[in-house]
Amino acid sequence: MNIFISGGCKNGKSYYAQKRAKEMAESLQKPLYYIATMIPRDEEDRARIRRHLAERDGWGFETIEQPTNLTAILENPSVDKEGVFLLDSVTAIMENELFRQEAGEFVYDETAPGRVRRDMEAFAKATGNTVFVSDGIYGDLGEYSDSTEEYRKALAAADRTLARTCDQVVEITYGIEERWK
Amino acid sequence: MILIFGGAYQGKLEYARENHRFETVCDCSQGKEPDFHADVIYGIEGFVMECAKAGVSAKEYFESREGLWKDKILIITDTSQGVVPIDKTVRAFREMNGRTMMYLAEKADCVVRVFCGIGKVIKGEKEQ
Repeated sequence: MNIFISGGCKNGKSYYAQKRAKEMAESLQKPLYYIATMIPRDEEDRARIRRHLAERDGWGFETIEQPTNLTAILENPSVDKEGVFLLDSVTAIMENELFRQEAGEFVYDETAPGRVRRDMEAFAKATGNTVFVSDGIYGDLGEYSDSTEEYRKALAAADRTLARTCDQVVEITYGIEERWK
Repeated sequence: MILIFGGAYQGKLEYARENHRFETVCDCSQGKEPDFHADVIYGIEGFVMECAKAGVSAKEYFESREGLWKDKILIITDTSQGVVPIDKTVRAFREMNGRTMMYLAEKADCVVRVFCGIGKVIKGEKEQ
């Protein structure tokens, strides 16, 4: 089963997603993969990664580093495509692909929104057992720079595609789940 | 009246198209005044922003025209989350948008919240 999870930041989405992925892997008797999406840019990021690693310790996740080009996992011979995948987060992959870093400079890639959206959909269809985590960043005024606004638009479109494709859609608010599908 | 709201880019108009039959849409997202000849008034927050800039009440605008929209579908973007805006006009807009939404939600026969393209009826029953 594919599950799409969103909601506000720091609301317990990751923990909920880990639980759902672990339960799924246990009931299917399949390997459990964590798709790590963050490209650490500074010490703050590295500390966050260490915290996430500690939080996942003992859960039985095998980590796949895939900050961009999600569908490459499907070509990786050492990965069982019938396993259960936790992708945390859609937000990070969109950011990494939309604002690529080339020789220390950020390059805005306008082909990224469509590509990432299609990759997400293809990944959901190919695996059938992926838990996607995204971020609900649409409830405020949207007074952002043009590139940030393009990012919000791109992420929202990917979210809507995933919500259509996935079997379940869940919003998490302070650890409480609300089913949308 | 059916009120459809949700955050930016959530697919509110698309949801309306998939779930209701209508022909004409008046798009107010760029600030246009609603033309109530249309079946759907979309992007009401854009008009509310113009009201805030002009210092007139959007809620009163709707109150005094109830007969014109009581059988329509109204679509508005929820801007209620996030930090209080520093800019005075934007701050006034956010407050006005919230007050307008509360008024419309109270008057609505049906209120739908849209999240990632999915609608959930939070007041009344889904109608055609």
